[in-house]
Amino acid sequence: MADILDILDIEQPGTTEVTRDSILHGDKMKKKYVTAKAVRRPEGMHREVFALLYNDNKDLPPLLPTDTGKAYKQTKAKLGMRKARKWVWAPFTNPARKDNAVFYHWKRKSDETKEYPFAQFNKQVSIPSYSESEYNQYLKSEDWSQAETDHLMDLCQRFDLRFIVIHDRWDRAAFRDRSVEDLKERYYNICGILSKVKTNPWSNTVTMVNGEKRVYHYDAEHERKRKEQLRRLFDRTQEQIDEEQMLLAELKKIEARKRERERKTQDLQKLISRADSGNGLPTCQSAVQTEGISTPSAVSSSIARRHDRKLHKKKLASQQRPIRAVETVTVEWSGIKFPETRGAGVWLRSQRMKLPPGVGQRKTKAIEQELRLMNIDIAPTPSEAICKHFNELRSDLALALDLKNALTSCEFELQALRHQYEALNPGKTLTIPPSICNTSGDGDVKPLSEIIDVVGSPGALNNTI
Amino acid sequence: MSGPNGMLYGGDEIGALVFDPGHHSLRVGYAQEDTPKADIPAVIGVGPSTHIPDAEEKVPDGNITQSGNELRHYIDVTEIHVPRPGMEIQTYMKDGQVDNWDLFEKMLDYCYAKVIRSPSEHHPALFTEAVWTTRPAREKLAELLFEKYQAPAFFLVKNAVLAAFANGKSTALVVDAGASQTSAVPVIDGYAIVSAAVRSPLGGDHLAAQAKNMLNNMHIQMLPLYSIQSKEVIRERERARYTLKTLPAGLTQSWQQYMLKKQYEDFYHCVAQVSESSYDERTAASVPGVHYEFPGGYHQDFGPERFKLTECLFEQNLGAPHLVCSAAAACDADARPALWGAVVACGGLANLAGWLERVGRELAARAPSSHRLKTHAAPSPPERRFAAWLGGSILASIGSFQQMWISSQEYDEGGKGQLERKCP
Ligand SMILES: Nc1ncnc2c1ncn2[C@@H]1O[C@H](COP(=O)(O)OP(=O)(O)OP(=O)(O)O)[C@@H](O)[C@H]1O
Ligand SMILES: [Mg+2]
Repeated sequence: MADILDILDIEQPGTTEVTRDSILHGDKMKKKYVTAKAVRRPEGMHREVFALLYNDNKDLPPLLPTDTGKAYKQTKAKLGMRKARKWVWAPFTNPARKDNAVFYHWKRKSDETKEYPFAQFNKQVSIPSYSESEYNQYLKSEDWSQAETDHLMDLCQRFDLRFIVIHDRWDRAAFRDRSVEDLKERYYNICGILSKVKTNPWSNTVTMVNGEKRVYHYDAEHERKRKEQLRRLFDRTQEQIDEEQMLLAELKKIEARKRERERKTQDLQKLISRADSGNGLPTCQSAVQTEGISTPSAVSSSIARRHDRKLHKKKLASQQRPIRAVETVTVEWSGIKFPETRGAGVWLRSQRMKLPPGVGQRKTKAIEQELRLMNIDIAPTPSEAICKHFNELRSDLALALDLKNALTSCEFELQALRHQYEALNPGKTLTIPPSICNTSGDGDVKPLSEIIDVVGSPGALNNTI
Repeated sequence: MSGPNGMLYGGDEIGALVFDPGHHSLRVGYAQEDTPKADIPAVIGVGPSTHIPDAEEKVPDGNITQSGNELRHYIDVTEIHVPRPGMEIQTYMKDGQVDNWDLFEKMLDYCYAKVIRSPSEHHPALFTEAVWTTRPAREKLAELLFEKYQAPAFFLVKNAVLAAFANGKSTALVVDAGASQTSAVPVIDGYAIVSAAVRSPLGGDHLAAQAKNMLNNMHIQMLPLYSIQSKEVIRERERARYTLKTLPAGLTQSWQQYMLKKQYEDFYHCVAQVSESSYDERTAASVPGVHYEFPGGYHQDFGPERFKLTECLFEQNLGAPHLVCSAAAACDADARPALWGAVVACGGLANLAGWLERVGRELAARAPSSHRLKTHAAPSPPERRFAAWLGGSILASIGSFQQMWISSQEYDEGGKGQLERKCP
């Protein structure tokens, strides 16, 4: 060892002990080179040339660029610092199982045996039950035998009220075929009757409103009709759709012609009456316009609205030399403009609730988040009223979000300017008048529409409708 | 399973095995892995045990199981593809389900002994099944697993459901193009809608038969690969020059046919392509041909024929697009938008070049305009072919699934009658 060190001109280190540090940072260990007697640079020789000839230890300059970064020396892994924790193939029982079957899985040896964590996901819907006498007393029906009812309740339990699956697995050999609506009708009927006569309500069909039981009522007739319409809509062939479109176009043409004719007759009558009465006053008959039959698009156009507004917010005009350019913040926003119907002819009302493609992913997410905070279903049942209000609500939400963003950016600007002012005028403080300050904690927050003139806001429109 | 911050992750592996039997092959492997451990042809060579030519074959080997009545069973490619006098090729599958249970037992023996190499009583077993598997077949399988193999637990899932899971869907319209058939099965919330499932016999085997027909008509001879001793390099479309091997006498018809079918399969894997829209001579001719060399050495370019060959898979009332449409139409109207929005393609034949695009196009033309159509398929060919197995692998390694198994205790108490209830 010593010979090698001698050959390499390396001084023997004082300690030969191998430490963790010496392994990891071995290269950093001070290698003491015997400093060659300093050769003085001859007078007149360029420093660069001299450096090529003589460096500290008379090594030749390296032929290849060497990597001197510490990239390879630094280790992230902490070697040998901690003992590896053991894993064992251990038996476990799952409380979600009724049979106490023992399975094996990998777990940390140190982990104490606690309840199988996945058992918490074992959720079941609660399905009402009835006794034989209860059935005979309350649930008898001429259409349904008890065996069939039992079968239905059994399937409801097994398939967690997925009625389409229940319908699929219906025992057609033993009982007659029934539609999904028939099955639902019977089930909700039973729930309704039992919740009246029994004390414990079932969470999914009974809600308590002001201490009063409200039972979910299933309107089978309406559902049947809805399903039939849906089926017909889906089963249209392309030819039928084309035909419908063609007919609609024809209808428009006919209407236009009809209006034209009426206008002409009226003109004619006017002429006749004028001729009759000599130079009498012209009748105002012609002012009465005949109204065309409202087509789907005409109806829905009254719902479509647009509100594009611009907010020009002048910032404090800076009289001092502008260190920080204060630009006029222009915030541009609008609510959401829901387009009119997609496609011609018949369409589903739920289509109207689709956010238009122009609304970005982030905004959609933000709106959904707000809805969730308000405890509102993200996809409610699209009845006429719900559809309208839901769209308006989301439009308002989008607007509110935009305004909130604008407000925060203004607020930020304001504070920045205050700091700037105070920095330039030491000792002075700028008191921002509370009228332009964000009064988030304040009790009397003015309604949005009073602060900013929201022209044609959905809210305003809402009142007039 | 559960992380340091008390978070609960979805997986908990309990050493379960996943078996996916099909007409073409049996896929078997451990749950939680991303590919099966083995993909074994679904045929077994059955031959007389008297002929054991090589010394090393005498070593007791799991591949070759000896049964009492002097018959040997040859399993997996390395055993089957050897020309042996009197060895018949038999399959245990019929109509999408296991039919010959004695043979299937041989196959399971082989899986445990040679693939898994671990006793069957240590591993819960999850099996996939076709939607129309009959009740006796399901119960027989449960019986076999519990009574013969002493499995600690057993479960059966419809392969369409698993294929949907493998594609990250619980509601999907699964179109599976396998070897023996093509099927379309709606899956809603993880349950297959059995009454709406449809199938047709147009699968890979049909295409292989068509390929054979086509080559016959073109007067191209498909020589068995195993019969060729050597061949000469020749120019395109020139007559093949080759020498034949001396083969053992008494090779069975079924074996020869099986070997030839493999070659026709290889031919269409390499050559066949599905045209974008209905076959048209001129557009097909404008696509560059594909070169194929036959075992005897004969080789040529295949042009429009490659497209013409696959048209048989898109017959008006039997093709995959038609199946999808009729399966969707048989479903409740409320479920249809979700199904059209998640059409999942899987199965080996879905790897055929252009197949997915063609199905997508035809569906777009046929789907009701009020629905948003979206087709999904795994990007890589093996993932497509193993979709059902993968879904099983995922399902069996989910923590909350572990309560679903039928345990051997439950089987002992309730018997096989509970299968219908527990594995819907
Ligand atoms: N890359 C490929 N190109 C074309 N066809 C392929 C390809 N890979 C596999 N196939 C075909 O797919 C078929 C096998 O598919 P798969 O493994 O899904 O069938 P299976 O599940 O065993 O049979 P089945 O579903 O009928 O019971 C075979 O006919 C095979 O020729
Ligand atoms: Mg298959």
